[in-house]
Order: sequence, then C-alpha cells, then structure tokens
Amino acid sequence: MARPLWSVRLVIAVVLALLVPAGAAVASPDGTLTWAVHISLAPTFFDPAETPGLITPFMVLYAMHDAVAKPMPGQSFAPSLAESWTQSKDGLVWEFVLRKNVRFHNGEVMTADDVKFSFERYRGAGAKLLKEKVAAVETPDPLRVRFRLKQPWPDFMTFYATPATGAAWVVPKKYVEKVGDEGFKKAPVGAGPYKFVAFRPGVELVLEAHEAYWRKSPNVKTLVLKVIPDEATRLAALKRGEVDIAYSITGPLAEELKRTPGLTLKPTYMPFTSWLVPVEQWDPKSPWHDRRVRLAANLAIDREGINQAAYLGLAKVTSSMIPSQMDYFWQPPAPSYDAAQAKKLLAEAGYPNGFDAGELSGDMIYGSAIGEPSVNYLNAVGIRVRLRLMERAAYYSEYGEKKLRGVLYTGSAAFGNAATRLESYVIGGGRYVYGSHPDMDGLFSEQVNETNARVRQQILSKIQQMAHERVMFIPVMETAFLNGVGPRAEVHGLNVIPGFAYSAPYEDLRVKKK
Amino acid sequence: MRRFVLRRAAYAALSLFLLSVTIFLFVRVTGDPTVLLVEPGASKADLDALRHDLGLDRSLLVQYGTFMRDLARGDFGRSFYYRTPVLELYVSRLPNSLLLAAAAMVFSLLIGIPSGIMAAVRVGGWWDSAGKIFALLGLSMPSFWVGLLLILFFSVYLGWLPSSGSGTALHVLMPAFALGWYFAAAHMRLARSSMLEVLGSEYVKLARLKGLPEMRVIAKHAFKNALIPVLTLAGINLVLMVNVAVVVETVFAWPGIGRLLYEGIAFRDFPVVQAVVLLGGSMIVVVNLVIDLLYAVIDPRIRYER
Repeated sequence: MARPLWSVRLVIAVVLALLVPAGAAVASPDGTLTWAVHISLAPTFFDPAETPGLITPFMVLYAMHDAVAKPMPGQSFAPSLAESWTQSKDGLVWEFVLRKNVRFHNGEVMTADDVKFSFERYRGAGAKLLKEKVAAVETPDPLRVRFRLKQPWPDFMTFYATPATGAAWVVPKKYVEKVGDEGFKKAPVGAGPYKFVAFRPGVELVLEAHEAYWRKSPNVKTLVLKVIPDEATRLAALKRGEVDIAYSITGPLAEELKRTPGLTLKPTYMPFTSWLVPVEQWDPKSPWHDRRVRLAANLAIDREGINQAAYLGLAKVTSSMIPSQMDYFWQPPAPSYDAAQAKKLLAEAGYPNGFDAGELSGDMIYGSAIGEPSVNYLNAVGIRVRLRLMERAAYYSEYGEKKLRGVLYTGSAAFGNAATRLESYVIGGGRYVYGSHPDMDGLFSEQVNETNARVRQQILSKIQQMAHERVMFIPVMETAFLNGVGPRAEVHGLNVIPGFAYSAPYEDLRVKKK
Repeated sequence: MRRFVLRRAAYAALSLFLLSVTIFLFVRVTGDPTVLLVEPGASKADLDALRHDLGLDRSLLVQYGTFMRDLARGDFGRSFYYRTPVLELYVSRLPNSLLLAAAAMVFSLLIGIPSGIMAAVRVGGWWDSAGKIFALLGLSMPSFWVGLLLILFFSVYLGWLPSSGSGTALHVLMPAFALGWYFAAAHMRLARSSMLEVLGSEYVKLARLKGLPEMRVIAKHAFKNALIPVLTLAGINLVLMVNVAVVVETVFAWPGIGRLLYEGIAFRDFPVVQAVVLLGGSMIVVVNLVIDLLYAVIDPRIRYER
C-alpha cells in the first residue's frame, strides 16, 4: 500500500519542482509606475530622427526605442541592437554586428536596412556633422552594418552612440515608409522595452511592456509619464501617491521632500557644469588680464556654501569646467575657499582696495542660482561686481555673439566628451570663446584625427591642465538634478546610467509588491 | 444699418490685421528661439541648420509674407517645439479650455451676481462689507497662490481631490474655483455698482411710489437691467478665461490653451504664440462686433448716430 502513495508523492514533487521555477522565470509584467514630468512631452520625442540636442527626448527614447549602441549602467557605449563592433586599423571603417531576431513592436524583425535607413533619415542635432564625416553606410548582410568614414574620426562613437545625437536609434524602415513621418509620430513603433499605447498632448504618455524585448521582459506592465509643469504640484502629486517619481524638485521644496516620511530625494547627474568666465582676461588693460586676479576670484567663492544652499549639498563642487564623467577628463586639484588669500593676491596684483569689475551676467535660471551667491562672494573680497540676469535665450544669443562684458555665467549639459566641450568654450573659433591661446589651439588640432585613445587623452589632459594653470575659468560645480521617489517605486532607475538625468533602463524598474 | 454693419466689420478686420503685424514683430523682438531648442554649447552648424529648418534665416519681410499667405489658407504654421501644425494643437486644447472656462464662469456668476445684488440692496450693511472684503481678496490674491492653497488643503491634507490633471469631474473643481475666484470678485463689484445705479433710477422710484413690494421692484424691474453690463463683461471674461488662463492651467497641469501659450512663450515658439494671440484676439473682436450689432439692434440711436 505504501508504494503507490510514495510514487504519487514523487510525481507531485517532480511536477511542482518543474512548475515553480518555470512560473518564476516567465513572470509577466505587472503594475504601473507613474512619473510627474517637468516638461511638456512633444510627439518629436517619439521619433529618434528629430532628436534636437537636448537630453529630454531620451526620457521617451529609452522606453520606446532602442539604439545600435547606447549608454547603459556602467558603460558609455553598451552593445544594444548591435552585439559587437570593430574599428579598422586605419580608423576609416566601423562595422557593427547586429543581434539576431530582434523584433519591433509590430512584429517585424530588425535588420541592417533599418539601421542604415534610420541613420540616413536622421535630421536632428549633429546630423550635418555626422553626414559630413560618413562617406557611406553599407549593409553587406542583414545583420551587418558598415560605416565608411571620409577620414579617421575618433569621436565617431561619441556622436553616434551617446545622447549627443539620436542617429543610432533604430526605427522600422517598412513601417515608416508606409505611414510617413507624421503617421509615425502619431503611432510610433520601436524596438524598445515599451510599446506606445496613448498620448494626450499636455497630459500624459502611456506605454505598455513589450514582453519580447531582447534584453529582458520588463518587470512593470504600464508606464505613465504625466506632464505637471509646476514643481509644487509635482510634489503634491508625489505626496498623494498619484505619481511614483517626480522630476526636478528644487530649493525649499526639495527640503520638504526630504523631510516627508516615505519619500526619498534622489539626485541625478548630467554632464552639466556651471562656471564663470572673466571674458575681459583677453584685454591687457583689464584687471582680469592678471592671472593673480583670476586666481583671487577662484579662491573667493565658497562653492560648498552655494552647493548647500541651492542643492542641499547634493551637487559636486569642481575646479574644472569639463564634467568629471566625460571621456578624456583631466582631474585638477580640488577647489579651495580662502578669502584672506584672495585679498592678498588682489593686493599683490595692485588692487589692495579691490576694483570695479562691472557686471556678472547670467540667465534667469542657473545664472540666478549660481550667479547671485557668486556676486556676494566676489564683492566680499573687493571684486565689486553687479548681477545682471537676462532671459535665457537672449543671454545665450548675446553670449554667442560676443556682446557681453565683465564676468559671464556659463552652464552646459551638452553631451560629448572633453574635446567637444573644449571646442565650444576654450579653443579659438568656438561659439562661446572670446579669446584663446595659440599653443592650446595647436594642441587641439593635433588630436582631432588622433585614433590612439591614449595619445588623445594625453593631449586633451594637457590642454585642460593649461586652462587650469592659466586660470581661464572660475568653475563652480557639477549641478545636481533633484528628483523625488515615492514608496511604491522599488527600483526607480535614477542615477543608474552615468550622465543620464532620468529613470532608465525602464525594463529593470520594479514596483514594490503590496 | 447696412453702412453701420459694414463699418464695424471693417474696423474688426483692421484690428485683426494690426494684431497680426504686432504679434509677428513682437515675438521676433524677443530674440532667437533656436538657442532654447538645443543645449548651450551646441555647435554653430546645428544652430544654423535649425534656423534654416524653422525658416528663421529668411528676411523678416519674407517671413511675414509667408505667415500671411499661410494664414489666408487657414494655416497657422508648425510649432517649433512640437513640430506639429499649430491649429491642430490649438484645437486639441480648446475643449479643455472651454470646459474649464465654462465651469469657472458658472462659479463666478453664481457667486458674483447674487452677492453683488445683495450688497447693493443692503448698501452699507454687513453683507455689503463682507462683499467688499470678498472683492478685495478676489482681486488681490494671485490665482497661483489660491491654486496651491487649494491643492495643499483639498488634495494633500484632506485627500479629496486629485492634485492636477484632467479627465474627470473631480479634476475640474479646483482649477475652476481658482480661475473663477478673480472673476467672481470682478462680477460682484460690477453687479453691485450696476444695481446701485439702477436702484437710483426714476423708473425704480416710480415702481416704489406705486407701492410695489421691494422684492418685486428688485427682482422684476431692477435686476434685469442691472444684469446687462455684468453679462457684457462676462462675455469678454469668458474669452479671456479660454485663452489666457496661463497660471491656473500651469499650476493644475490643465492641458488648455493658456498652458499652450505659456509653453509657446517659454520656448519662443513663434507660431504657437502668434496663433493663440490671433485666435484669442479674433474671439474678442468677434464678441465685440456681435455686442455692437446687438446694441444697434436694441437701441436705434446708436445706428443713426454713428
């Protein structure tokens, strides 16, 4: 009598043993995560071809689409739709091997033709540069894409595979050709972890898990990005549990968020540095021409004080205008605050009673947050400067046209690497460059076509070191982007991908079980 | 009468033409929008390409000519930020703004008219003083502050109402109150002064002398006449509520035209600002034209004098 019972038990045990892990492995996506987004979502965010050189569209692109290669946790260029790539010895050919059986949301299989089509269709930021540098895109077989460059270009991957552009993000060729550009924005189809469900302009974007996503099936079933432009309302929605993550909560509201039980303040870090530039350093008659004066200004500013006041101590004080997370960054000595030494240096430079330094100009947002305390610190040591805040667009227009004088606030979150940042702000001919040093310009030219990363690092480090020693700038901090996280978001994805301001990768996010 | 109608219609057309020139030039005086559509530090090539793409590299005269040519075909251009036709954007937001404005208008009239009438009837009394305080608060408390207080109390503290967004009847309550609050005070003030004026008129005195009960004098003889200026103002206010509820729509994340205008200004989205101002202006011009024509129909002196 015992044998049949034993065998039944064995069968049940085996079946359970087989079923339980199988059930766990195929756990389907569940629950909803909701964001309070600080900016209006535009249909252009759904189409990688129109990426405008701002980081904001990538908030949507990381969900709906996928790229040949893109920044992922711990990697600046992570293989995504391509599983590997190689660069030819002469630096003229980049060949990508695509992942097999990757399917778009409409079931079509992604091929090399889609990659080529997406690159050629791309018309967003950096499109002109990419197309000037790339001679041809070839598709020798359905899983192989070859980019032929006109000349070696060490920054190819920086422009192709980071948020500097959207050229590597792949859309289905056949579908786009069928529905057209406008149709695509109304019903976008991608290869990302989430499918488009609904978009109510000015209200919300709803996405649903694409369970066949190649990397993994997403954990969360539905994502909702709600547009709430006012930050006090975003915080109220977070407190009420209407949203799980609220982007951009600053100042006193961030303090309140920090005090609220159940909510967490999470900073993220974009490649966003803030610095001051005494643009009159190029005028031999100006006090700013004297290195000691510029050094005094550097010592006069209490960066940690500004950090505490504006970012609750969550930003990173810096003595470089290049973000520390960028490739080819050179780490200068840490900044110090020494008002007494600053006054001594001014006296040595012939200004024992200080001098009238005119205006410190800045834009209304960061120019105010960083510029206002900076003005106070500079005045305290005798560098008498008045704050002049301008509307953001007007400010950057006048800055770019070199119409401003005195000291200028500058901030940039443009993606790229140390070379691209130096090109805009340090090297002669750059859009925001009021003057430059020929030896630094010469060094920069040397590295433009240099494919050896080690040699390039040495040259770019040298330029940054020279800028630091010559005290060309008054770097202040790497700004933090403060966000609130509610109790339901078990895995929120903030600050996981270096330099990315928003939650990602979306497929890794998780809602807390009740 | 025909000449009068034609003259008023010509004035309306001229007003709209001047508005189109003014708004076209004013938005462009604010500067280059491309620097707001890219990160500071973007290359000159990208900025130039964007300027070309948006048609901003052409002369002002060419831009205005294109703008007017498209306008004549009912095309308000494409949004710089959304990259979709502006008219499509406007029409998609219009129902939300109409709903919010209608709710706010009902609230403002329900509060403003009875309290104004009561204040005029009991002039100098307790109700009048309370009405004056209400009017003062309504006109002086900024709507964003009223909105935030409402959110804190009804949404965060009591948990009764959603803090923002749209979609249900509950969503409309707080924004309608915050928007209608200011206009309720304005309507109350006008209802009070209009009622006081009517109550002092000869025909009301006559009605009283004839021994009619006070309630009947107010309700039947004075109220209707006192209402005319309030409703005229309400018509214009409704257009304002639809088009420029910028602050309330932003605070409550209400997807209306006011917020579209705010975004248009923030991003220097010229076509959006132009369209919202022109369409809002057209509504005001049309409402004024209709009011002028109605006055002329009601009062023969107007059509013969002008």
